[in-house]
Amino acid sequence: MFSTALFKDARYFQIIFQSIFLSYGIYFLHWKNESWLYFTYFFTSLATQFTAEFFLGKRNIPFSNRLKNGIPSILISSFGLSLLLKTNLWWVAVLAASVSILSKYILRINGKHVFNPSALGIVVAVLFTGNAWISPGQWGSGAVLMFGVFTFGFIVTTRVQKLDVSLAFLGTFASLIFLRQIIYLGWPMDYFVQSVSTGSLLLFSFFMITDPKTIPDHRLARILWCIAIAAVSFYLTAFKFMNGAPILVLVFAQPLVPLLDKFFKARKFEWTKSKPYTQEENNFMQVIYSKSYM
Amino acid sequence: MKKKLLIIGTIMAIAPILFSFCGFYVSKADGTLKNKTSQVILVRDGNKTVITMYNDFKGDSKDFAMVVPVPVVLRKDDIKVVEQSIFQRLNDYSAPRLVEYWDENPCNGYGKDEMKAPMADKSMNEVVVTSAYGVKRSTVKVEARYLVGEYDILILSAKESSGLKTWLIENGYKIPEGAEEVLEPYIKSNLKFFVVKVNEKEKLKLNNNFLRPIQISFNSPKFMLPIRLGMANADGDQDLIVYAFTRNGRIESTNYRNVEIASNKNIPLFVQKNFRAFYGNLFTNQWNREDKSVAFLEYAWDVSPQNYYHCDPCIATAPSEQDLVQSGVWWLAGKDWSDYSDVDNDEPDNGSKNVHFTRLHFRYNRKSFAQDLMFQVTPNKETFQARYVITHPATGDFNCAAGKKYLQDLKARRKKELMELTALTGTNINNWQDEALAKNDEETNVAAQYATLIPQLKEDSDSNRENSKENMPVGIVLFAAVMLGGAGLMRWKGLI
Repeated sequence: MFSTALFKDARYFQIIFQSIFLSYGIYFLHWKNESWLYFTYFFTSLATQFTAEFFLGKRNIPFSNRLKNGIPSILISSFGLSLLLKTNLWWVAVLAASVSILSKYILRINGKHVFNPSALGIVVAVLFTGNAWISPGQWGSGAVLMFGVFTFGFIVTTRVQKLDVSLAFLGTFASLIFLRQIIYLGWPMDYFVQSVSTGSLLLFSFFMITDPKTIPDHRLARILWCIAIAAVSFYLTAFKFMNGAPILVLVFAQPLVPLLDKFFKARKFEWTKSKPYTQEENNFMQVIYSKSYM
Repeated sequence: MKKKLLIIGTIMAIAPILFSFCGFYVSKADGTLKNKTSQVILVRDGNKTVITMYNDFKGDSKDFAMVVPVPVVLRKDDIKVVEQSIFQRLNDYSAPRLVEYWDENPCNGYGKDEMKAPMADKSMNEVVVTSAYGVKRSTVKVEARYLVGEYDILILSAKESSGLKTWLIENGYKIPEGAEEVLEPYIKSNLKFFVVKVNEKEKLKLNNNFLRPIQISFNSPKFMLPIRLGMANADGDQDLIVYAFTRNGRIESTNYRNVEIASNKNIPLFVQKNFRAFYGNLFTNQWNREDKSVAFLEYAWDVSPQNYYHCDPCIATAPSEQDLVQSGVWWLAGKDWSDYSDVDNDEPDNGSKNVHFTRLHFRYNRKSFAQDLMFQVTPNKETFQARYVITHPATGDFNCAAGKKYLQDLKARRKKELMELTALTGTNINNWQDEALAKNDEETNVAAQYATLIPQLKEDSDSNRENSKENMPVGIVLFAAVMLGGAGLMRWKGLI
């Protein structure tokens, strides 16, 4: 029923999973329904993309093609904002979404955009407007969700060969938390489990830090980079009691990526040039796909 | 149909109230120490926190003792006693509310006016606690010793938990089972222990027969309530009401889910007779449905002195500026308050006199709440109240055409109210039959009485069941739409 071609571009997976998470939040976790906010994010992203393509896009590709190719990115960053950023004011939503999309066009070095669009939008809205916030507790720490995020995240990251990023970040972060909470402070195990099974952390590990356009191309460089982000995030979380520290650290670490790319030469990532699936991967994917949705 | 809002009743959703949230009570006698509902006021801006702990200890004050972990060694100026009535005022103001409407008879357009006093009802539990101060141990350092109001206060720091435990035992505190498990992490986190007992001489001077709430203030980036210690001597579930004041907006939990309690629902008229039981059932039902590890929002409002509308509808007097200052909202206080705040004053003072109030309701137990409560201040200024609506039917003659239509509508509406009642409280409709039968529901027309409607409701119980899970089909439809949309997108991209 589903051909391998369907999995050619991992972004489609990402969009599907993000929409599942949003539905899960609204219908099972009873989030306050804020459709106006989600629509604002989406339409602002769309309008910004349209305008930016018109004035700043590559002239050698037809305009309609460029728009079409940009749709998945728009969806991903507006879903990213919808899942994480809360505000009561429409102009804050518009600001966050337009900053996200514009950053892809304006803040570029060596043909790669510097910042993860939604992470930058979130940080700008939280730090500079004072009228937006992140709710780290919104996912709770249900085991079902944890499993879901892992499975779905696994597929996305495997597909674009960047599971190393998620594991390096999550492994380092969880180990440091474990050392502090269990080994040093002596809390019981469920204390630690609650700390690392929050949806926000897993979502960050599998859907935000993994954005292949904004991580170092060289494998060693990006693993070191992730470990550093995890360590700083841990410090801010455990000792400075900062909420949503990983996103902030990520945004501040992203300008380092061009530098790392300079010292660690590697092939630049392209969304559509990823390796085709092996037969096993393909089978696995079909099993997951049929079990999850049919 | 025209409706009139006429009176508002209130409830005390808080049953027996006992302060216990973060300290533990200790006892020489092995009596059953059970803590049920505690109340605490939190004031937070920048890194400064003011915590006021309700104290409704009813036993012999000689037996009162309390241990609270605090992040820093408090100075004497950081500790105050405040009036107990402030808690009652905050609770009355922010409690879940019942709003009454009266239908007007469409045949004569005549309504019935009536005013009722809020009903308040509260019972108290008693706890027996025994303690005495004694010799100190070397591993435990008494950082400070103060006499504040009627309380003798010690601030302890400890190097290791067994030393602290020994100290407490030798000084007459009996450590409850399981308290040790949290003492160790608290000590390692560099927390101090705020140990309180009553000074009998001072208490005699006051001539009070109750103990006043203790208010402490400190600077720390940590915005949290240590509930784990309080779980040590509580079996089962404990309720905690947090009244929070900030400059910016609502507070919310950062390590538990935040859920707004179901509100603005139309419920049957007879619920008025037992609103407290209704809200109790509703809370328990919602708590179970949300898988227990949640923070329920019960009230949120801008209570800044310059803001005119402090509630809508109001069920009790909104807290006055004086009440707010008493609660610890230091940015409203004038110069007199300045020596109360820290000397190395690093709290931001942008001059804003805004005050936002949040009421959170927790029901915690050891299993569902592995961590202490962590909070953050958000810029969310949206108002919220737990509000339930009852509607009195019109009375008189319904012989006109509009009158007949009204009776039909009334029947349909009341069926809906009954279904809402079962959905909200998770109770079987049969459980409410007695209330429905026993109470005169002001409806002379037999066909529209609740007691008549309940059996009819059972007949079409199939549709009820769907109604109570109305979110499910919507979720499935949305999910299907998303999947179809995704597939469409891929087809458009030529992938399938």
